[in-house]
Amino acid sequence: MHIILSLLLLSSACARASDYHEQLNLRPLHPSLLLASFNFQSNTSLASFEQQNFRYFPRSLGQILQHANTRELHLRFSLGRWDAESWGARPWGGAREGGTGVELWAWVEAGSDEEAEGRWLTLTNALSGLFCASLNFIDSTRTTRPVMSFEPAGDHKNATLTDLHLLHGTLPREVVCTENLTPFLKLLPCKGKAGISSLLDGHKLFDASWQSMSIDVKPSCEEGSEDCQLQITQTIDMVLDIQRSKRPRDNPIPRPVADHDLKCDTSKPYHSHDTCFPLDASGQEEDWSLAHIFGHSLKGTCPLADDGVDPVCINVPHARHVYASEGAHEHKDESGYRRCFSLAPDGEFEMVLPQQEISEKAPLEQPLLYAERSFIGYGQESGGVQAILTNPSGTESVEFVYMETLPWFMKLYLHTLKAKINGLDEDIIKEMYYRPALDRKRGTQLEVRIIIPANSTVVLTYDFEKAILRYTEYPPDANRGFDVAPAIITIGDVSIRTTSLLLPLPTPDFSMPYNVIILTSTVMALSFGFIFNLLVRRFVGIDEAEKWDVRAVRLKVLAAAKTFASRFGKREKVEKKE
Amino acid sequence: MSGLLSSGSLLRRNPRLLQVPPYLSFLCIAIGVAWLLLLPLDNYSRRTYISENALLPGQVHTYFAGSDQNVFRGYKREVDELVEKSNAEVNDKLEEFFKASGLKVARQKYEYRSAGETYSGENVYAILHAPRGDAEEAIVLLGAWTNVEGELNKSGVALVLTLARYFKRWSLWSKDIIFLITADSRAGPQAWVDAYHDTHQKGIQSLPVKSGALQGAVVIDYPFDHRFESIHIVYDGINGQLPNLDLLNTVVAIASGQMGIGASLQKMWQHKDSYKDRLTTMLRGMMNQGLGHASGPHSSFIPYHVDAITLQPFGEGWEDEMAMGRVIESTFRSLNNLLEHLHQSFFFYLLMQSNRFVSIGTYLPSAMLVAINFTIMAIFLWVKSGAPSTTNSKVASTDKKSGPLSIIQEGDAKALIPKQILEETEREFFLPLAVVVGSHFLGVLPLYLFNHTPEIMLPSVFFIFAIVNNIFPFLISTALIRSFNPSHQQYQLIKAFSLLFLGMFLSSLATLNFSLAFLVGLLAAPLTYVQSFPNRPITTTLFVILLSLLTPTTVLLASSFYWNLGVGEVLKEAAFGWDVWGMNTQVVVWCVWWPAWVVGMIQLAGKPRNEKPKPEKAAVKS
Repeated sequence: MHIILSLLLLSSACARASDYHEQLNLRPLHPSLLLASFNFQSNTSLASFEQQNFRYFPRSLGQILQHANTRELHLRFSLGRWDAESWGARPWGGAREGGTGVELWAWVEAGSDEEAEGRWLTLTNALSGLFCASLNFIDSTRTTRPVMSFEPAGDHKNATLTDLHLLHGTLPREVVCTENLTPFLKLLPCKGKAGISSLLDGHKLFDASWQSMSIDVKPSCEEGSEDCQLQITQTIDMVLDIQRSKRPRDNPIPRPVADHDLKCDTSKPYHSHDTCFPLDASGQEEDWSLAHIFGHSLKGTCPLADDGVDPVCINVPHARHVYASEGAHEHKDESGYRRCFSLAPDGEFEMVLPQQEISEKAPLEQPLLYAERSFIGYGQESGGVQAILTNPSGTESVEFVYMETLPWFMKLYLHTLKAKINGLDEDIIKEMYYRPALDRKRGTQLEVRIIIPANSTVVLTYDFEKAILRYTEYPPDANRGFDVAPAIITIGDVSIRTTSLLLPLPTPDFSMPYNVIILTSTVMALSFGFIFNLLVRRFVGIDEAEKWDVRAVRLKVLAAAKTFASRFGKREKVEKKE
Repeated sequence: MSGLLSSGSLLRRNPRLLQVPPYLSFLCIAIGVAWLLLLPLDNYSRRTYISENALLPGQVHTYFAGSDQNVFRGYKREVDELVEKSNAEVNDKLEEFFKASGLKVARQKYEYRSAGETYSGENVYAILHAPRGDAEEAIVLLGAWTNVEGELNKSGVALVLTLARYFKRWSLWSKDIIFLITADSRAGPQAWVDAYHDTHQKGIQSLPVKSGALQGAVVIDYPFDHRFESIHIVYDGINGQLPNLDLLNTVVAIASGQMGIGASLQKMWQHKDSYKDRLTTMLRGMMNQGLGHASGPHSSFIPYHVDAITLQPFGEGWEDEMAMGRVIESTFRSLNNLLEHLHQSFFFYLLMQSNRFVSIGTYLPSAMLVAINFTIMAIFLWVKSGAPSTTNSKVASTDKKSGPLSIIQEGDAKALIPKQILEETEREFFLPLAVVVGSHFLGVLPLYLFNHTPEIMLPSVFFIFAIVNNIFPFLISTALIRSFNPSHQQYQLIKAFSLLFLGMFLSSLATLNFSLAFLVGLLAAPLTYVQSFPNRPITTTLFVILLSLLTPTTVLLASSFYWNLGVGEVLKEAAFGWDVWGMNTQVVVWCVWWPAWVVGMIQLAGKPRNEKPKPEKAAVKS
C-alpha cells in the first residue's frame, strides 16, 4: 500500500507541466517467486492535449481517445491467476489488473445511449488495431453498463459528468501474448530501449506465472482550479518463477539435475548415494540477479524520466544483501523492508542478491477478501455457480459489490440466487442490480452488494440453464467450451477478480460434417478435373504430337509466313484480274 | 385402406404364418449368441486407432529419470514408514510433502453408511496450478492409499509424490494437475468426485479448494516393490459406462509404442492373440460391464463424463518405477495437448485385446436380437389372444363348408372369407395388466430389502428370500385361480405383457449397458417358451426346474460360488454399490428380470379355466 501512497505523493508533488517518470518495484514472494511491477506515468496538460500537442502522451492513443470522445480509459491484459493465499494482497490493490484475457472500460462522452454505443464501437475497433487484440469482438453481448462497481477515477467537470457513459467489456478467451506487448511498449517515451522498460522481454514476460498489463488514462485536476492534466499510467506486473527464469534460454527443459547437485535432507536415516529426500528449501532465500530474471541487465535510465523518482526499488528486509553495480546509489526506507536505487544515467545497472539463510521476511499485506468461484453440477442441460468469499479479518467487516457479467447462453435463474453465511441463510444482500439477458443481444448483468462480517465465509450460489446454440454460433476453432468472464469484486478502491470459468455447452460433432465436406469436395474436385481434362484436351499419339523445339518453331514461322505471303499474292492476283 | 386392413387381417389369421413366431424368436436368440461369438474374428473387430489428433501420444521426450529416481526412493522410504499409521497421520505427512513441493493442499473427510457399516476416511489432494493457466481445466493423477484388493499402494503413492514434485518444474502445463490420494479405492474417489461436482451426500465434506472442469483422470495402482513386466489397464466404469477409447489408446500407444511395455486388459496376463483369448477378454469385459460395479478408483469419475483409467503394473520384468512414471508423464503431456474434451473416438466398445475392439454398431445387434425375441413373442401372443378359442376353431375347421362367409372387397376384387377368420374376441386385459404391473412393483420389495439390510443379516435374509421366492409364484398362482379363475386368453395376455415389458426394457438398456442387457436377456430367454401345460406334468416339472435354476437368487448363488465369494459378501458389495456408487444393476435385476421370472412361474403353475364354446359371446365382434 505504501508504494501507491508514495507514488501518489510523488505524482502530486511533481510539476504540473508535462512530465514522465518510471519505477520498477521488485518483491520476492514465497516460494521462490518474484513480483516485478513496472510503472510508467506521464502527464500532459489537457489544454495542450486538446490542441493535439502530445509530448509524452502517445499520439496514436491520444487521437483515438479524441476521436471516440473518451474521457477516461482503462484497458487490461491479464494472464494466469494471482495466488492470494501465498502471495498476499494484489499489487496496486488490484486496481491495475483485469480478469483473464482482455478487459476494457471507459467513460465516453455522448448525448444519448445510442451515441455512446457508437463511440464505444469506434473505440474498441480502434484499440483492437492499436493493440493487436480482438477488442473488436466486444459487441453488444459482451458490453455492460455497470451501475455499482465502477467509479470514475479521474476528476471530471460536473458539467460533463452527466454526459459520461460508462461501458465495460471483457474478452475472457483472449490469449495475451507478445503481439500485445510490442504496441504496449511503443506507447512509452523510451519505447523499451532504455530505462526500466529495457528489461521487458516477451520471452520472460509471457513465461510468468501471473501477468497483467494495464493502461489507464484519466484527467486529473487540482481542486478549485481549471488547470487540468491528462494522466496516462501504464503498468506491467508479473510474477516470475526464479528457478524457471534462471534456466538458460537455449536449454529450458527441466532435466533431472545431476545426482551430486540434488539437495537432499541428509538428516534422514536412509539417506545414501541413491536415496534422497528432497530438502525443503523454504528457509533459504534464493540467489538471483536482474540478468538472471530478465535475461539481461538494465540499460541505463530513460533520459526523459524525472530524476526525482528512483527507478528501481526492491522490497526485502534490510538484512538481506543486495549488491548493485557501480554508480547506483542505494536509499534505504525507514520501514526496514524497502530500498530504492538511483541509477547512473549511462551504463548498465545490475543487481545481485546472493543466496542467504534469513528468517526475516518482508511482511505480506493480507488481502481484504479471498474469492473463489467454480461451477457446480454436471450435465449438458443446467448447472450452477458457486462463489466462496471469505473475509479473513478478525475484526473488520467488509462491504463489497460482486459483479457478474454472464453470456446470454447461460440463462441465470435469479430466484435461485442464495447467499449463505457460515452455512446459514441470512439476509446479507444489501442491494442488487439485475439486468436480464436478451438472446443474442446482450448478456446478463448482476451486481450484488454484500456485507461480510469479520471472520466469516459467504457462499453465493445460483443455478442456470444452458442454451442450445445455432451451429454457426460456435467459434470456428476446436470447441473446448465457452469462457465465462471473471466476477469482479469491488471493495472501495480495491478490486479482486475471480478466475474465469469454462462452460461446456451441448456441442454437435463438428468434425463429422467437416470430414464429409472435405471428402465430397475432394471427390468433386477429382471428378471435375478428370472430366474437364477429357473434354478440353485433344488426345493424339506421341509421334503425331507437335514438337516445340527451335526447328519446329522456325518451320512453323516459315509456314505461317508462306501462307501469309501466298494469300497476299493471291489477293494481288485477284485485284489484277479485276 | 380397407384393402390393407382386410389383407392384414387375412395374414394375421394365416395358420402357417402363426406358426412362424416361436421359431423366429428362437432364431433371434441363436443368431444373437452366434453374433457375439463371431465378434473376436478379424473380420468383425477393428484395430484401435487414435481419433483425436491433438493427443499426439508418445510424441514427446520424457525426462522423468536420473536423479528423480533418488527422490522416488526417498519418498518410498517415507511411505514405508507410514504403513501402520492412521489415516490422519498419513495425511499429515502427505500434506507436508505436497506443501514442500510448492502445491496447494486440501483435505476432505467423508463418511458413507451402507449395509449397516460405516466407511469413512479422509482424502488429501494437491493442486498444481498451471503456470499460465486460468483454472478452467484440470487433469487428475490419483493414487489411492490402498487399492481395490486392500493392498497398500506403496510405490503408487511414492510415484504420485515424486511426479508432483517433477511436474511442478515444468512450465508447459495448460491445465491444472490435481494430485489426489484417497484413503481407499472404493468410497474415497467417489466422495471426492461427488464433492467436486457438488452433488455429494450428507456426511461428505465439500472441497475447500477446486480447479476447473476435469478433463481426464489417471490412477496408479502399484502396490509392490519389485520391477514389473507389463501394465494392466482397467477401464470399466460404474453402470457399465466406459471412458473414451482414445484415452485407453493413448496409454497403450505410449506404453507399447514409446516405452516398449506391454499392455493387457481384463486380467488376461497372457494374451496369445488367439480366438479363445480374444473371446475370454471380451467376455470378462462384458461381465464387468454387466455387473456395473466400480473396478477401480477411476470408475467413480466416468459417470461425470470424466474419462479415467487405472494403470496397474504386473508381472516380474525389468521395467522399474521410473518407466511407470514416464508412461504417466507422457500420458499427461498428451492430455495436456487436448484442446477440447475427449469426444472423438468411441464411448461404446468391447475390447478383446489392447489394440482390437468392436464398436457399438457391430455388437449391438446381438443384444438387440435377444431382446427382440421377447417382443416378437409378445406380439404373437397378443394376436393369438384375439383369436376365438382353439376348441371353437377346431369345430369350425371340421365342417368348413357350413361356416358363415363374409364378402371382402378390395377395389374391384371381391373375396369370400370364412367369418371365423375375421372374428376377434374381446380381450379382457385388466387382470393380466394388473398381474404384470403388480409384479413389477413388487420388485421394489427385494430391491429395498437387499439395499437396506445390515451386513450380518444379509445371508439369512437372502436364503429366506430365495426359499420364499420359489414358493411365492405358486401361491400367487393359486390365489389367482381361486379368486379370478383366469381364462386361457388372460394367461396369454399376462405373458404377452410381461414379454413386451421385458423386450422394451432390454432393448433400451442395450444402448446404455449392452452387457447387462445381453446377460439378462439370455438368462430370461426360456421365459419366451413358458406357458401353462395343464395336462403335461412332466413338461411342467422340467420347466419349473429350469426356471428355478434361472431365478435371480439361484444365479446369484451360483455365481458367488463360482467366484468363491460368500453370498453375504456379494450382497454387501451390491448394497455398497447402491449407496455409494449409484449403481443400478439391482434395479434391472429386481424390477425387470425378477418380475418377468415371477410371471413366468405364474404361467407354469397356472390352470386356464376350461371354456365351453360360447358362440353368442364370441360373435360379438363386428
